[in-house]
Amino acid sequence: MNADMNIRISFYSYFKELAGVATTTEAVAEGGTLGGLFDRLAVQYPKLEPMRKSTLMAVGVEYQSRDYVLKDGDEVSLFPPVQGG
Amino acid sequence: MKSGHDIVMSMKRQVSLTANPIDEPALLAGRTMTSGMGAAVYFSGVVRGSEAGQSIRAIEYEGFEAMVTRQFELIFTEIETKWPIESIRLVHRLGVVPVNEASLWVEVIAPHRGEAFAACQHLIDEMKRVVPIWKKPLS
Repeated sequence: MNADMNIRISFYSYFKELAGVATTTEAVAEGGTLGGLFDRLAVQYPKLEPMRKSTLMAVGVEYQSRDYVLKDGDEVSLFPPVQGG
Repeated sequence: MKSGHDIVMSMKRQVSLTANPIDEPALLAGRTMTSGMGAAVYFSGVVRGSEAGQSIRAIEYEGFEAMVTRQFELIFTEIETKWPIESIRLVHRLGVVPVNEASLWVEVIAPHRGEAFAACQHLIDEMKRVVPIWKKPLS
């Protein structure tokens, strides 16, 4: 069985403007990675493509690398470098 | 003889995210230190009137709040392994913060100034690297 997983994605800071939405949902095949998800989002929202290298990605409240294997129900966040203080 | 590390049982941690002005007198009035502590360092980060050479009236801060809390916890845990800190209190404003008002307030309490300054510096450096807060200048 190779059912798609539903992954909810949130954009923060100016990534919301670049994507034109604050949240979206993607159906990802089992074994799909965070890096693969970014590739798809960069096609869907081309203004994200130039941000590829600087984009930070989190699952839940933890940073994850591009090779993180997604699980059904994961909540993914994409955002630019942080600037607190 | 006991070292400073031995007398610190577990670090008190407090993080507040607020849309309201930071009430520094109230924070200072709420300070608690045990008798082994000899250093209280606090830092206030204030919004400057210019950003990238442009005059601004305020900065709007946005935070991914659940992750902000989690990332501060990770930084605090790391600090606790490096220095004998008794307490860290931190307040970060979110929303619009006008020029000359504080966006950040941090207090670190430790036995000696060296570790208090070092931990405070490290906390702010790490915050700027991993805590998901962003700013947008408003002109």
